[in-house]
Amino acid sequence: MSAAIDIMRVARPRASPGWGTAVVGICLLFACAAPLGLNGYGLYLLTLTEIFVLVALGLNLLTGYAGQISLCHASFFGVGAYATAILTQKAGLPYLLSLLLGAFLTTAIGALAAVPALRLKNIYLAIATLGFGVVLQKITFEWRSLTGGGGGLALTPPSIAGYELGAVGLYYLTLILMTAGLFGAWNVSRGRTGRALLIIKDGEIAAGSLGIHASRYKVTAFAISAFYAAIAGGLFAYLVRYINPESFSVGLSISFLSMVVIGGLGTIGGSILGAIFYVIVPELLRGIKDAPGLVFGLLLVIVMVFMPQGLWGMLRRLGRRS
Amino acid sequence: MIANLVVGGLAAGCLYAMVGIAIVIVLNITDIANFAQGEMAMLSTFFAYWLMDGLGLAWWQAVPIAIAFGLVQGIVIQQVVIRPLIGGPVLSAIIATLGLNVVLNSVAGLIWGHQTYTFPSPFAFSPPFIIGGVPVAVDSVVNLAAALAIIVALTLFLRFTWTGLGLRAASQNQTVARLMGISITRTSAIAWGLGGLVGAVAGVLVAPSLFLDTNLMGALLIKAFAGGVLGGLNSLIGVFLGCLTIGVAENLAGAYVSPSFADATTFIVIIAVLTVRPEGVFGHVRVRKA
Repeated sequence: MSAAIDIMRVARPRASPGWGTAVVGICLLFACAAPLGLNGYGLYLLTLTEIFVLVALGLNLLTGYAGQISLCHASFFGVGAYATAILTQKAGLPYLLSLLLGAFLTTAIGALAAVPALRLKNIYLAIATLGFGVVLQKITFEWRSLTGGGGGLALTPPSIAGYELGAVGLYYLTLILMTAGLFGAWNVSRGRTGRALLIIKDGEIAAGSLGIHASRYKVTAFAISAFYAAIAGGLFAYLVRYINPESFSVGLSISFLSMVVIGGLGTIGGSILGAIFYVIVPELLRGIKDAPGLVFGLLLVIVMVFMPQGLWGMLRRLGRRS
Repeated sequence: MIANLVVGGLAAGCLYAMVGIAIVIVLNITDIANFAQGEMAMLSTFFAYWLMDGLGLAWWQAVPIAIAFGLVQGIVIQQVVIRPLIGGPVLSAIIATLGLNVVLNSVAGLIWGHQTYTFPSPFAFSPPFIIGGVPVAVDSVVNLAAALAIIVALTLFLRFTWTGLGLRAASQNQTVARLMGISITRTSAIAWGLGGLVGAVAGVLVAPSLFLDTNLMGALLIKAFAGGVLGGLNSLIGVFLGCLTIGVAENLAGAYVSPSFADATTFIVIIAVLTVRPEGVFGHVRVRKA
């Protein structure tokens, strides 16, 4: 029932390029102009937000659309970061090429992670993916000759076609990739795959009887999702310029999942809002003495109790009422 | 050597099992994986510590009060946080418990700070049992007995009391249960109360061997979930055996495979088992008709 409503909503052709397009245009305009008005730290935060938006978009496709919980996205993020860094620093490949190769590698790993997922549901799936993440993190930790182990990897700024990519350059690259990612997620979610995933979430048997190959679509969802996480990881590695296996822990996976749920499951706007919430709110709370964790946790609880459909769901309800 | 490792593993597994049982009660009845369970138990344990250290009560007086505190705490949290979310998306409730986890941790940190305390145990100075040449700490035996006692008591409660039957009915089909006159909000409150109670017992028994600090339960929570999934979440004895298996497997993998891969090996085993038995070893498939 709910799947039917979602599909109607998703597949409904837009009559005219109205409000939505205007808002997106204005946001993009502001995003393009942002480096003019922000100091270094502000720019760092904005880039980080965009990177998290990419992860959240991918994860939302998997969790919000296909209904599959993943607690190993931090390790996809990490594999993307390490693969990009190693290919660029040690193999001497161009940055963009290694970003792409890293993403393909992670996509393959993501498809592999989907194999146990085919028969598992809910909390069982959560624990299996969590285990997968722990194993990946451990491998990065112990493969010292390649990854530097617990000491981590320090990175030098990358260059594209001879132009060294500083903070501003990386910001624009992230912005371009995030916009492409948004466009991709928008198309996937409205198209055949997105609709198939929505039905799978509601009932695999129903999906099967409609001729939807549930296993194949689940693997696809995991793979796309891992691709997004890996691209984000490759950008993240060069944003912070130092990566360490500890950064890609279960805790980060849980944060990614919270981003998606806080923002709004199964919506693209939700992925954006969730990522913003997760980066900006802790920043605002840093000034509060003693208890940034306390306030952040309280906010998390309050948002969920008063907006079970997430921030985006709340906005949409307000929009409909007015 | 093997015997020592197995006994050590069983002792650790027992600690996981008690947290696991608390999680599973809530999970089975309300479908919510309670990520705040560990911190709830930690808070109850700190409360017991405060009763002993601050008010000077004896262990035998402080612990029952702390267990009652756990029960009340579970009910209060259910009323404030979970009740508004009944009927909403389950993932939202899970993320809310995640937020709660952070809140409770910070609250405990604000009150008691982040240093480590020694939690007393009445069995600390008893000489260990020697079973077949292997020394077994009295604490471990007490933990094992307590876990089994909790399982027996809960099973009796769920099988033979009206309230227990109501809880089981609600866990199978909320709509039908409601038609039979069972209040869903009340069963949910009872489930959370029971979870808080068992969590408090777990905390008090775990604290002497792990030492009491605000991260008391951090490591246990994930292992408890993993053990529960391995055994099968809809069978209490399955959760118990699953957690014991995790404890033993960790110890054996640490000794014979590689110490740094102990966790990873355990999870590989779990994934392998789940691939063959998606509902856990002792779990049974819940038939769901939409």
